Amino acid sequence: MSDANQISYWELIKNGILKENTIFKLALSLCPAIAVTTSLKNGFFMGVAVVFVQVMVNLTVSAMRKFIHQRIRLPIFMLVISGWVTVVNLLMDAYVPDVYKEVGLYIQLIVAFASILARAEMFASKNRLTPSLFDGLGMGLGFLVALVFISIFRELFGKGTILGVSIIGAKPLLILVLPAGGFFAVGILMALFNWLYARYAAKPGAH
Amino acid sequence: MTGKDILKITLNLAVIYIAGGLIIALVHAATSPIRYHNKVVAEELALKSLVPDADKIEKLGDWKIHEKDAKYFVAKKGEATIGYIVQSYGKGYSSYINTLIAVDRDFRVKKVKILDQKETPGLGDEIEEDSFTDLLKGKDADHLKVLKTETTEYVQAITGATISSRAVTDDAVRNGVKFIKATITGGGAGHVGR
Repeated sequence: MSDANQISYWELIKNGILKENTIFKLALSLCPAIAVTTSLKNGFFMGVAVVFVQVMVNLTVSAMRKFIHQRIRLPIFMLVISGWVTVVNLLMDAYVPDVYKEVGLYIQLIVAFASILARAEMFASKNRLTPSLFDGLGMGLGFLVALVFISIFRELFGKGTILGVSIIGAKPLLILVLPAGGFFAVGILMALFNWLYARYAAKPGAH
Repeated sequence: MTGKDILKITLNLAVIYIAGGLIIALVHAATSPIRYHNKVVAEELALKSLVPDADKIEKLGDWKIHEKDAKYFVAKKGEATIGYIVQSYGKGYSSYINTLIAVDRDFRVKKVKILDQKETPGLGDEIEEDSFTDLLKGKDADHLKVLKTETTEYVQAITGATISSRAVTDDAVRNGVKFIKATITGGGAGHVGR
């Protein structure tokens, strides 16, 4: 992660979605990944909120990286993160109130996401604006994609619906929408992701 | 740490707090009318959907159930009273279930709407669906009782969610209906509820 100037922007996005996927690869931020993914709508908006916060935090930290004193960089990062989380919190309450009613608590918890602080410290504080933007976008999208897959899996097999529309007409595996089933869903999809990724990475010419 | 460091740190923090505060204040100011509007409109729509034929719904007062504040309303068409709406809470499996109940002038349930609940997804949250709330229609306080057996006279529990079904029927709705009946017929006296 030392010098991002040699990596293309596309590589940065791919890194966040595949190689360092927050949930499937780094196994970070699993609490919201299980709590909000009982329906696709909730999972999607949670993912969007994380993309927004990650991108804004990366941009802010990168823009201020020469101005911040080394000794207080972590408290400053936390302030920046909580500021942007408050913004996204207010926006969601105003524009998607029905989703906010269910996932509001977890939106506020984005403040404590290890992945967001880690990207600010490891990437944005050492790189220029544009690479930081794409790094944030990649990491955020990785989280969003993971949440979307988990919530499709849980909503479809747990409730038999997608976005509230009945697809199966029964509840094949009710346990999937319960918390215990959340762990199963994340585990199964994590295994699948890593299996597919290992096959992809083994191909000559990938990377 | 030199004086220069201290100065820089102070400056860092001051700038962050001021900039952050400004951004949050701006977003808050821009969204607060929308958020306020959302809440008021959501409540009005919920009331309206309970008694669609009413042209005026007026608040009558407040009451308390499970230590929570609830409201009650009268629904009018022209000058004639066509029913009442009472808000009530039931203690469910994992949450207090916030309900709105519309009753006719004989204090029979016309319609029930679940405003807020955090029951188990996939099991208890079925209390929100019409297939369950329709079971309560037309029942008076004496028949608002959940049974685990097949019944139309009383209310049949949702499979796997007896506690949530009971919280809505025996707790929230029955207490709400009893309260509104006692208040209206008894001239505003009394608190029902446990």
